[in-house]
Amino acid sequence: MSVGPFGIDPTIWAVLRLVIAIALAVFLAMNGALLQVYLERKVQAIIQDRYGPLHVGPFGLLQTFADALKLLSKEDVRAKLTDSAFFIAAPAIVFAPMLGSFVVLPFAKDWTAIDLNVGLLYLTTLGSMTVLGIVIAGWASNNKYSLIGGLRSAGQLISYEVPQILALVTVVLVAGSLSLVRITEAQQGPFVNVLVLPLAFLVYLISALAETNRAPFDLPEAESELVAGFLTEYSGMRWGVFFLAEYGEVTIVSSIMTTLWFGGWQGPGVDAVPVLGILWFTLKTYVFVLVFMWIRATLPRLRIDQLMGFCWKVLIPVALFNIMVTSTLLLAFPGTLWPIAIVNWVGVVALVLGLPALQRRRLHRFRDRVGAARGVAAS
Amino acid sequence: MFDFIEPIVFALLTLGIVSAGAAVVLINRITSAALLMAFTFLCVAGMFLLLGAETIALFQVLIYVGAITVLILYGVMFTPQQPRPYGLFFQKQTPAAAVFVAAIALPVLFFAFSFPDAKEPLARGGDLVPLATSLFGDFAFPFEVASVLLLAAMVGAIVLVKRDDDGSGVDQ
Amino acid sequence: MIPLGAYLTVSAALFFIGMAGVLMRRNAVVILMCVELMLNAANLALVAFSRRLGSVDQRGSVFVTFVFVIAAAEVAVGLAIVLSAYRNRPTVDVDELRAMKG
Repeated sequence: MSVGPFGIDPTIWAVLRLVIAIALAVFLAMNGALLQVYLERKVQAIIQDRYGPLHVGPFGLLQTFADALKLLSKEDVRAKLTDSAFFIAAPAIVFAPMLGSFVVLPFAKDWTAIDLNVGLLYLTTLGSMTVLGIVIAGWASNNKYSLIGGLRSAGQLISYEVPQILALVTVVLVAGSLSLVRITEAQQGPFVNVLVLPLAFLVYLISALAETNRAPFDLPEAESELVAGFLTEYSGMRWGVFFLAEYGEVTIVSSIMTTLWFGGWQGPGVDAVPVLGILWFTLKTYVFVLVFMWIRATLPRLRIDQLMGFCWKVLIPVALFNIMVTSTLLLAFPGTLWPIAIVNWVGVVALVLGLPALQRRRLHRFRDRVGAARGVAAS
Repeated sequence: MFDFIEPIVFALLTLGIVSAGAAVVLINRITSAALLMAFTFLCVAGMFLLLGAETIALFQVLIYVGAITVLILYGVMFTPQQPRPYGLFFQKQTPAAAVFVAAIALPVLFFAFSFPDAKEPLARGGDLVPLATSLFGDFAFPFEVASVLLLAAMVGAIVLVKRDDDGSGVDQ
Repeated sequence: MIPLGAYLTVSAALFFIGMAGVLMRRNAVVILMCVELMLNAANLALVAFSRRLGSVDQRGSVFVTFVFVIAAAEVAVGLAIVLSAYRNRPTVDVDELRAMKG
């Protein structure tokens, strides 16, 4: 433990750092969510060739405040038979782990609140606790459709945790540590991990989309499906909390992606001015947030059996194969990362070209089968 | 200077564990019991942290709170039943049971405190590397057997709950 | 420093509470939950011994990892059995599931 500024006792400095980290986390989560609400509407509008929020404030920047005010002033409509304690607790159970994840993120050199040496495991654990909140939300609404939506969402979340963790394990194998700070430091300069492990990055990107219930995996909370699933009975600020939790989770997942695959706080100028790392970290994180929004505006929604099939039949075998190959190559060619990079890039090309080809073949066979059945029925 | 924090945290965690555990056993409503069980798991994870086993504490939360509680909640929700007023089975024998429990509790307490204790606690944290080295080094074979066990359990559970009608899923 | 006996007492208390639940409750899912409490008590005792009296290589914690695996497998299969039984007769009361016929 280090002595704090002005020679404060190390224990008090540790507690103070924790308090500052918590305050920063709340601040970042709230401001990040506000920013992302505005960004989402603007980005979707631009992609859909329309204007988006324009009227409230310059360029519609104050739209989020208007939205927040509206949410806060809504009546707290509650069905009579909902289970009150669980109904009130569920948004908190979904929101709390997201806040707790901010304390291990490495914003800049020496600017991590707590450098846990099991930091990545901590983030994974917090991600798995949100599932509980969603199941409780579905149950407490006392509504068939909410229950089905909640259980479906929980099934999707726990299924996609597996490829997510497997992709993280690949990075840990190459970097040699679970600590986020050390993973960032293991990527020297421009040779960031995405050049070595692009397959793991793809797997993690897709699993992260599913873990945060973002399109194209947002079946459980889509407004046109099951009447918004487990969110049906939640109105006003309770729904706002779920909403904030989702955007906070998107930020966390984007931060993990920048730390593990894109060098975290590294960028031009950080050697001279360490605080500049925060700028690079935030910029890289928001690039991924924008990619998430771009994907949401572009791709259609997957059906529940399609997304579960994709997870268990495609992502998990690919992630397992990746781990096997990476560890074998690390043992066979110690000290050099070239074989791993080559195999990974070949895998990425195979996946990107191979999956559509497989789907096309399946579609042709399905069409032939339907055509044959219809031909038999007609004759 | 801050040595008083540890016994306070230990006392709070003990209170949490015992009261939540008793509530799991005594509460009639199953969903509340399941969530209190999750709270017990969290308190046990806190105990692990007090002992300095960080990795095991995180595994406890990940596996128990994150997965097993969700499984139990699924089980609860797929088997809805009328909540019945239950009668404690041993109501007539409660005084005898209390005497019996007290009689057992004393030797257990004596036995628990009879172990020699370490002079100073092991360094906090730093249990990831020895754990991994032991698990994949000395205990590699049990590790593989555990994987096979998990696979067998997974396949067995799926086969057990499969419906016997031949309504297949939507073809992709 | 908290004495080792304190951790062992908490572990014993949790174990007895779980055992009481297994013996007293009639709902099969609640019995599974109480079995999980007993497994947690065992884990707590193992980790306490491993951190206080064990060597540096944390063998007690390795055993705890295996207990995690076995607990997860057991809950999965146990719930599968309970759900199958529920399909036959819509009850999870272990008193009514006692007969092997039907």
